[in-house]
Amino acid sequence: MTGEGVPPLDRSKAPASGSVRSFDFPPVLTSTLPNGLKLRIARMTRAPLVTIAVILDAGEGLLPDESAGLAVLSGEGLEGGSTSLSGPELADALEGIGSGLDVRTGWDATTVSLTCLAERMEEGLTLMAEALLRPAFPAEEIDRFQSQRLAVIRQRQMDPGSLADDAAAHFVYSDSVSYHRPLAGTHESVEELCPDGIRSFVKDHYRPSGAGIVVVGDVEVSEVEALVGNSFGGWQGKVAERREVDAKPRFAERRVIVVDRPGAVQSEIRIAQMGVSRSTPFFFPLKVFNAVLGGAFTSRLMLNLREEQGFTYGVRSRFSHRRGAGPFGISMAVATEVTAPAVREAFAELEGLLAEGPTDNEVERARDYIAGVFPLSLETTTQVAARISEIQVYDLPVDFFATYRDRIREVTPKVALKAGGATIRPDRLTVVVVGDAEGVRGPLEDLGLGPVEVVSPPWSLE
Amino acid sequence: MLNVPVERHQLPNGLRVNLSLDQSIPIVGVNLWYAVGSRNERPGRTGFAHLFEHMMFQGSANVPKNRHFELVEHAGGSLNASTWFDRTNYYDTLPSHHLELALWLESDRMGWMLPAMTQEKLENQQEVVKNERKERYDNQPYGDWDERIQALVFPPTHPYHHSVIGSMEDIGAATLEDVAEFFSTFYVPNNAVLTLAGDFDPDTALDLVDRYFGQIPRGEPVPPLPGTAEIPPVIGEMVEEEVMGDVPLPRVYLGLRVPPLTSEGFHTADVAATVLGGGKASRLYRSLVREKRVAKDVLAYLFPLQTSASLLLFWVTGFPGAKPETLRKALLEELEGLESVRRKELDRAVALTETHLMRSIQQVGTRADLLSMFDQTFDDPARLNAEVDRVRAVTRSQIKDFGTEFLGPNNRAFLTYIPGEGQ
Repeated sequence: MTGEGVPPLDRSKAPASGSVRSFDFPPVLTSTLPNGLKLRIARMTRAPLVTIAVILDAGEGLLPDESAGLAVLSGEGLEGGSTSLSGPELADALEGIGSGLDVRTGWDATTVSLTCLAERMEEGLTLMAEALLRPAFPAEEIDRFQSQRLAVIRQRQMDPGSLADDAAAHFVYSDSVSYHRPLAGTHESVEELCPDGIRSFVKDHYRPSGAGIVVVGDVEVSEVEALVGNSFGGWQGKVAERREVDAKPRFAERRVIVVDRPGAVQSEIRIAQMGVSRSTPFFFPLKVFNAVLGGAFTSRLMLNLREEQGFTYGVRSRFSHRRGAGPFGISMAVATEVTAPAVREAFAELEGLLAEGPTDNEVERARDYIAGVFPLSLETTTQVAARISEIQVYDLPVDFFATYRDRIREVTPKVALKAGGATIRPDRLTVVVVGDAEGVRGPLEDLGLGPVEVVSPPWSLE
Repeated sequence: MLNVPVERHQLPNGLRVNLSLDQSIPIVGVNLWYAVGSRNERPGRTGFAHLFEHMMFQGSANVPKNRHFELVEHAGGSLNASTWFDRTNYYDTLPSHHLELALWLESDRMGWMLPAMTQEKLENQQEVVKNERKERYDNQPYGDWDERIQALVFPPTHPYHHSVIGSMEDIGAATLEDVAEFFSTFYVPNNAVLTLAGDFDPDTALDLVDRYFGQIPRGEPVPPLPGTAEIPPVIGEMVEEEVMGDVPLPRVYLGLRVPPLTSEGFHTADVAATVLGGGKASRLYRSLVREKRVAKDVLAYLFPLQTSASLLLFWVTGFPGAKPETLRKALLEELEGLESVRRKELDRAVALTETHLMRSIQQVGTRADLLSMFDQTFDDPARLNAEVDRVRAVTRSQIKDFGTEFLGPNNRAFLTYIPGEGQ
């Protein structure tokens, strides 16, 4: 097919790109129902689908330790049905329209969503309102969710990756901060939860004023407004004024902690500390900084620890931004015998990046990567609805995602370094290793990062 | 309702090419299916197809190590690959103006991978894959279940007897000669399907595909599978294995042979799996989790496999202290009661399938992958559009017959994990 005028193919270098097509985040139409519920609608006509998401101001973040897991269990309890539809009837009705409730509880909110064919939107909205506005929380069902939750906690304790996550959270945050515990609570706290506690939590937190509903898909705006009004207009109530999580670290200095799993063939490693909240002015610079460090395949950590050394299948770093200062952390799983060298290399990469800053080329690549993959995560109604939900949870400006790529492209190497330097303190990192203490303790001590302490769950340090 | 457009072509070297246009978003998915997977591995080289997949990212004649990832990430794209029983797929999703970059990278490694191979790169990736095995199998409660289930359901001479990840020993034994031989045997255009989905100009795209892939010579036909692919449709007996160990909760796995993806009976197995274990209105969830409360969770999964049989898997996790016998009994009661299936349950399966497929094809990467799958398996990518109808066509009497034929005692492989002392 090589016709006239077409030069022969030169394979030796990468081809030039074609002409860029613009990408726009779908416009978000915002309105407020008389009961205070914020409605956000985005039209997406790529597929005959609709996603409906209700965002409730019902996160785990502000709960005291003794009721940890209450928000999660309340969300799970929705499966128990409503005052007029039993649990099995609700499941039948939802799956009968090819859908199902997806309930996700985090530190900052509970999001209940479903996706169905757009032609079934009315049924979807009706069922969602039924589940949310008139939940029954039958005692028997709550008892079941509680047993299931306790079993999950047991599973987490024996899964090295989850154990490492939980241990890192515990040793990074002070006991006064909810973030020190596992999101879904502890065995002790979950055992104490009861239907009355759930009803009272839901009465206070599943309220239209302070909540949002997001509808994304192949739908007409006027129809959505009318249907949402019908299903959710009669909902009443207001959530309490929101307090902020006041995050504090547990330690003022660097710690190295080994959670002993005798005979383990691998070590799950977390190198973590308290990071910054979602409202940080450094949000975009930190995205770029993190992409260079460990947030992409060609990041410094990945190229060194995987592609150079072969220490691990994968290593990554990330900032978990929450309403309060969520954690920053590096995570990886490596063979027992290379545990200390892997920790050494991770520190070397982090300290090197903080000392010298990312190169111009790295920052350009990181910006292009983050800005370029942004539309790749906005192909589905579910993905777009999740993004719009963030506007509700974190009080973001309505054009936040419309200007997202511009904001990323503004980040300079200097600003990225400044953001990283202001946030990460290598002398205050907490290193958690879940692995064979006998095999890793000595070599970790030889790194000189600080004394190595060996613990077993439940945590009994100090 | 499903109406995914697809235009088919074939290059003279045998490469099959599918174009599926969707210009509603400025991105493009580039997907390659090579008809080679763990089933093609010879004894002593288990895990090699997967290790080879890793080597495909180590560069090619015109692309140095790490450059592939750098270029795609710099272009704002994402990429990965996966190895499975019957195939290995490579996929990139990029902003559409970088389509040519992906074609250059994929064609360079399809045609000219070997000049870039070195012992050092091989050893590096052997370490990476050994760590992957440790992370996913050896340092993970229940991590080796699929290895054990495959060995119980398929006889030692069958290509599905061993796992995709392979044994530590075999991963370590691979040589550069193995890489070269595997490459020239299986990574040939006549053993591959290339699908583009999303935003492109079809004429330009086809021209580019021809320019980049057209020069790669056709290979020999792929050799027959090692071992014995022919096996009876059912296991023929009940087999059991118990593992005492480092697990938090008792769990029972049940694996059984069902009709392969390529047979008429596959959709019946698919619907039966959904009726039994798909969603919270499924029979197993309702009975074992909601009503009897013997299980903490339950799952049914149908592996869509091509060679002589598919694998239908159930797993039931008990609460602390649960007797495995109780879990097995409750599971079997539901399997044996399938003959009472109602029309409404079939409708539910159809509705779930329809929404699931519709949601999947929103993503150009998944859309391309499905088209490649239907092309490689059925020589008919457009078959994707008939999937929901095929599920809808399954009748109650077919489900009953399926129960009689495949869910009986002569087709059960039980694998039970029991928490060890002190747990």
